[in-house]
Amino acid sequence: MIKLAPSTKTLICIGSGGVGKTTLAATLAVGLAFEGRKVLVLTIDPSMRLAQTLGIKLTGEQEKVNLPLEAKGQLYASVINHQKIFDWFLEQASKGQADAEGLKKNRLYQQLTGRLSGSQDFTSLVALQKAVSSEVYDLVILDTPPSQHTWNFLKAPEKISALFNDGIAKWFRQSTTNEPRLLSRFLNLGTTQVLKALETLTGSQFMQELSMFFAAIKTWQGPLESYIADSHRLLTSNQTEFLLVTALDTSRLIEAQKLSREILKQGYKLTSVMINRVYPWVQMNQVEQNSWPTQLKHINNYYQDLETELTSHFEILKKSLNIYKCPELRQNSDDVKNLAKNYSKIIHL
Amino acid sequence: MVKKAHLVTGKGGVGKSLFSAALAYTLSLENKPILLAEMNDDSFYRDFLNLSKINYKPSRYKNNLDIAQWAPNDCLKEYALHLLKIESLYKLFVENPVTKSLIEIAPGLKDLALLGKLTSSPRRHGPLMNYEQIVVDAYSTGHFLALLRAPGALHEAVPFGPMGEQTKSIDYFIRDQNFTQIHLVSLPEELPVTETVELYTQLKNEFGLKPLVYLNKTWPLEMTDLQGLHSETKESLAHIITNQEIARTTFKKENIEIKELPYIFNTDVETVIAEVSQLLKGHV
Repeated sequence: MIKLAPSTKTLICIGSGGVGKTTLAATLAVGLAFEGRKVLVLTIDPSMRLAQTLGIKLTGEQEKVNLPLEAKGQLYASVINHQKIFDWFLEQASKGQADAEGLKKNRLYQQLTGRLSGSQDFTSLVALQKAVSSEVYDLVILDTPPSQHTWNFLKAPEKISALFNDGIAKWFRQSTTNEPRLLSRFLNLGTTQVLKALETLTGSQFMQELSMFFAAIKTWQGPLESYIADSHRLLTSNQTEFLLVTALDTSRLIEAQKLSREILKQGYKLTSVMINRVYPWVQMNQVEQNSWPTQLKHINNYYQDLETELTSHFEILKKSLNIYKCPELRQNSDDVKNLAKNYSKIIHL
Repeated sequence: MVKKAHLVTGKGGVGKSLFSAALAYTLSLENKPILLAEMNDDSFYRDFLNLSKINYKPSRYKNNLDIAQWAPNDCLKEYALHLLKIESLYKLFVENPVTKSLIEIAPGLKDLALLGKLTSSPRRHGPLMNYEQIVVDAYSTGHFLALLRAPGALHEAVPFGPMGEQTKSIDYFIRDQNFTQIHLVSLPEELPVTETVELYTQLKNEFGLKPLVYLNKTWPLEMTDLQGLHSETKESLAHIITNQEIARTTFKKENIEIKELPYIFNTDVETVIAEVSQLLKGHV
């Protein structure tokens, strides 16, 4: 069981790779839906496992998950389809004007949407915002990419907005007018030199594609600016809680410490820490331990040391943090009931 | 002059950073200068290895072993400086908001700069690196293929001009088995094993590379050790042992040779690095 403020509308699960964040997000979603909330869980990683567990497809649609009769609430799940979300955003932003089609043919645009993890961060935020603002759900749970990328994810709005600062887009659009004289009149000496430098580095063909790209996305500017403001508002809202997922492992411990410090420093509302995938036999009673082979006793001590280190770190960092332990989930029997059962085994430390 | 580049990858959480450090340490014991580099904007090694500093410019970590942080932006800056040559133009270039945002959106440009740095010795391009071998703690499997594909993809998009020439030669050395060695770190769990097999196959088919594969953190337990244990304990441990067996069988079936690295249950990072390094001796 976990404690969330009654007014909380968004729960963002962060943490480094391999801690079982995706499964945990699903576990929480199932558990909270059983308790009576109407929950949507959004996952960024196109995880087949989560989809299989919940019985949904990878289409990006918000699909209703079949829950047993004893569940008091409802559960919806979606695997974010980045291309679809990006196209949706583009259509909204360009208000259906013709340049949307032209932009989709631009190679830079294709690469940007297809490859850049930055744009995945962007689309995840768009998807989250879309879901939260629809006001269809009591709670939206978001699973995020691994910690190196978690940071990118939170910085996505800033990064995108940097593109439009300092009149950059305008600058590039002017440089496509095919009128060198006019161009040089607009540009100061410094900018002309930068343009030359960029050409030296990349070749002129690349610059042309780039200019076309900027010219095409000019209609974005307004909607994008309001999107950035909305994203920031959502992430720092009092109704948004962050949950840090970690595991009993030296590397994960260090990453969790680093990430939690950053999150708090940036003013996000980190309320909970989940030590995930804890083996049920760790901290078994002494009587049980007496029959253990020596190497198991040694392994057990290792995990206990890690847990002590982890909890003391978080207690020092922030007194009001809720620290939980979630047992490992046996992977060969994934279904919704199994997730609900695992949710009930979560211990508040 | 760098003769060999080791790129370490694996699914997030498999322990590739620790493995990279152990691999670099093993190589450094042969009395040749080695560089360990991490590809992070935000250093992982600083906290993990308890370093007083880590920068783009290498600093001493152990005997014959230097450590550096290859933040993509720094690699790009160095690349730009080397091409532009003039300091004032360089400053104008890197401090310009246009460049900054270009780097953020231009697909694969950062990846290209990282691989450009890695292959700079054989390409005789860029500042001299006085290391015999480089070990890079690279991106996890999700982003790793995109990294390797960046030079080829950019070459396709921009085949001519200075960038066209650069991308072609970077791509060449990434595919050169004598120069590039990929290390795939895996765990005895279903998802990491599946991802490892997929990536191994793709690297072989698409790049002609033959990665070395490691099954990390295997447990020193057998089913016979579980006799007389509490049923829940037994079930949990049996699950671990079964997963391990499945992992071994899967790799065998796929004809992928693996090196097993037993779990070192010790919270002291340096001790673990030394122990894993012992296991790697003679293998790399």
